[in-house]
Amino acid sequence: MGKGVPAANKIKTDLHEILDIRHLTDSTFVLRIEKKDLEFEAGQHVCVGPPNGIHTREYSIYSAEQDEYIEILVKEVENGLVSPSLKKLQKGGYVVVEEPVGYFTINKDLPQAQKYVFIASGTGVSPFHSFVLSGKAQNYTLLHGVKYASEAYESEAYDENKYVLCTSQEDKGTFNGRVTDYLKANHFGVDAHYYLCGNCNMIHDVYDILEEQGVSTDNIHAEVYF
Amino acid sequence: MKKRIGFKTLGCRLNQFETDALASKFVGLGYEVVENSKDIDVFIVNTCTVTNQSDQKSRYVVNNALNHGHTGMLVITGCMANHHKEQLEKRYPNAYVVDNQQKSTIPQLVEAHYNKEILPSNQNVGGVFDYAPAAETFHTRSMIKIQDGCDNYCTFCIIPKVRGRAVSRPVEDILENIRQVVGFGYKEVVITGVNISRYNDNGIGFSALLKQIVDINLDFRVRISSIEPDSFDEAFFELLKHPKITPHLHLCLQSASESVLLQMRRMYTYKLYKRMVERLRAVDPRFNITTDIIVGFPGETEADFQKSLEAVEELNFGHVHTFKYSKREDTRAARMSNTVPESEKSLRSEQLRQAANDSKINYRQQFVGDQLKVLVDTVKDGYSKGYGEYYVPVKINQVLERNKLYTVKITGIETWGEEPNLIGVVQN
Ligand SMILES: Cc1cc2nc3c(=O)[nH]c(=O)nc-3n(C[C@H](O)[C@H](O)[C@H](O)COP(=O)(O)OP(=O)(O)OC[C@H]3O[C@@H](n4cnc5c(N)ncnc54)[C@H](O)[C@@H]3O)c2cc1C
Ligand code: SF4
Repeated sequence: MGKGVPAANKIKTDLHEILDIRHLTDSTFVLRIEKKDLEFEAGQHVCVGPPNGIHTREYSIYSAEQDEYIEILVKEVENGLVSPSLKKLQKGGYVVVEEPVGYFTINKDLPQAQKYVFIASGTGVSPFHSFVLSGKAQNYTLLHGVKYASEAYESEAYDENKYVLCTSQEDKGTFNGRVTDYLKANHFGVDAHYYLCGNCNMIHDVYDILEEQGVSTDNIHAEVYF
Repeated sequence: MKKRIGFKTLGCRLNQFETDALASKFVGLGYEVVENSKDIDVFIVNTCTVTNQSDQKSRYVVNNALNHGHTGMLVITGCMANHHKEQLEKRYPNAYVVDNQQKSTIPQLVEAHYNKEILPSNQNVGGVFDYAPAAETFHTRSMIKIQDGCDNYCTFCIIPKVRGRAVSRPVEDILENIRQVVGFGYKEVVITGVNISRYNDNGIGFSALLKQIVDINLDFRVRISSIEPDSFDEAFFELLKHPKITPHLHLCLQSASESVLLQMRRMYTYKLYKRMVERLRAVDPRFNITTDIIVGFPGETEADFQKSLEAVEELNFGHVHTFKYSKREDTRAARMSNTVPESEKSLRSEQLRQAANDSKINYRQQFVGDQLKVLVDTVKDGYSKGYGEYYVPVKINQVLERNKLYTVKITGIETWGEEPNLIGVVQN
């Protein structure tokens, strides 16, 4: 065997202490955990699970690259396996964390002034929070699709003029309707890079809309949660 | 019949606990579990390495099973697997040596093994090809492994969990390996890995590596094996024009429905895939594009399936490997609802297989009357067989020399079973 031939390499997992939990709504919370030696690029995700089980799930990293901790934004899924058990954990407890992975990152070769449109549904806003806090994008607009305005999840992190809250079930956000409706009415141009994150149906519809608007698929990046 | 799994556990209570957890997982998957190594299909040894004695005991258990005729799958896990992985892989070349961190994935590993998706890592790295002279092995192609692991996490696939994170082999090591095997007499090198388009060695990506490979000043041809259509750059398409690179790519499509591709978390759209095909055919109008397609993925509607069928009709594939979706525990797709009934999967698979066969005949037809450079790999019963640069099998009714390149004029197509083979005669 050649000396440098790579062979099955382990996925590093470790127990990380829970430093804090912030409950943002009845179902959604931010889990702040020890960083240890984990390095990541904004947009990547980690697999996290309760310490006593063998199951983990993917969660985009919510915090910034330079923070001394790692945060994830989790929505408890009814009848789910992992998210409800994460919600029950307490400060001082532990979670299993696998090393960060993923390619939903900002291309370093793009210019500083590159225009970005971030489109999220629900907790799909998490990687964008990390992009913005890590200083990855200055010229951005974030379209956040939720049912109710209470799901704006710490939106004070974004520049007020750059955050568009689209609420589909009440008339309280910046825009009353779905992100897709907003996007149909507001074009951002073919030179922007579009990052889509969240549920599959939203991403599918946004692809169609952008295609109609003449945006090349090279400029569209997607992270599907479910 | 149920497959039987035998366990042997050494060492601490944690090990026993983990064995129990694994055993119950296997029972849930429909296996029969026993605590010995008699008449079993899979033997899992959960080792301990706390003292020298425990090492000896662990080895004894493995040897004992092999000496008593265990020929099935062998998995060595536990602390000894962590500490002596290389030694164990050397000593037991047919064993899967699974470290503690990956212990919980053993059920998927076993399923993947029986599905022929993976091999023990030391068989998979092409060890037999690496430094063995051609005269000894009689292989015509040498597999050059450039990376292992995958971080894509397609929702149907367990490879990232069982093979681990993507790692790339150093450039110099690869180039040295190629110089050596070409020196041994190999005429063709096949670039392999789990997800080779993500190759990255200190900033050197796949195209840059390929450029260095074709620049090696020796006479050989390069075949790129299976590749994911998700990260090609301009340089890659340019390189495909190089005479050393054969005009064939196995470009996994999986589905031509945009929504199914999203559910699979594939990193491209069908539109992008189609554009890639167009670019490849611009390099060479007969560029051989082969692919994998999954039918019956959870949520695949009749309309989604029709899209895959149309793609097969439209893209003139040289070969399509059709898979019926099968659930893999511990993948995201395993937790999806809207599963497609087996009978429907079979129906779709059969329809796609027929379309794929028509496409194959259509694709191969265009070579009739032309000349191909065929590397002969089989000689028997008065005929020879090999592959031309497009990776299409060619049969020649003449005894030729193995591992030699011949210029062959294609005279027609002959179908054996379902396989439409090109028939040719050697040109002088
Ligand atoms: C790359 C990636 C990043 C992700 N990042 C995040 C994140 O930052 N925050 C986050 O909350 N989730 C995120 N998810 C989803 C997360 O991994 C889990 O799927 C989710 O927490 C549910 O897990 P569970 O074990 O509780 O439910 P399961 O038992 O796995 O699933 C129950 C069902 O709920 C569905 N489902 C999954 N997620 C949701 C959801 N959010 N809303 C409604 N239904 C859902 C599934 O399709 C499944 O059918 C991400 C997923 C991926 C692939
Ligand atoms: S890219 Fe290939 S190996 Fe990687 S997860 Fe997807 S199907 Fe599996």
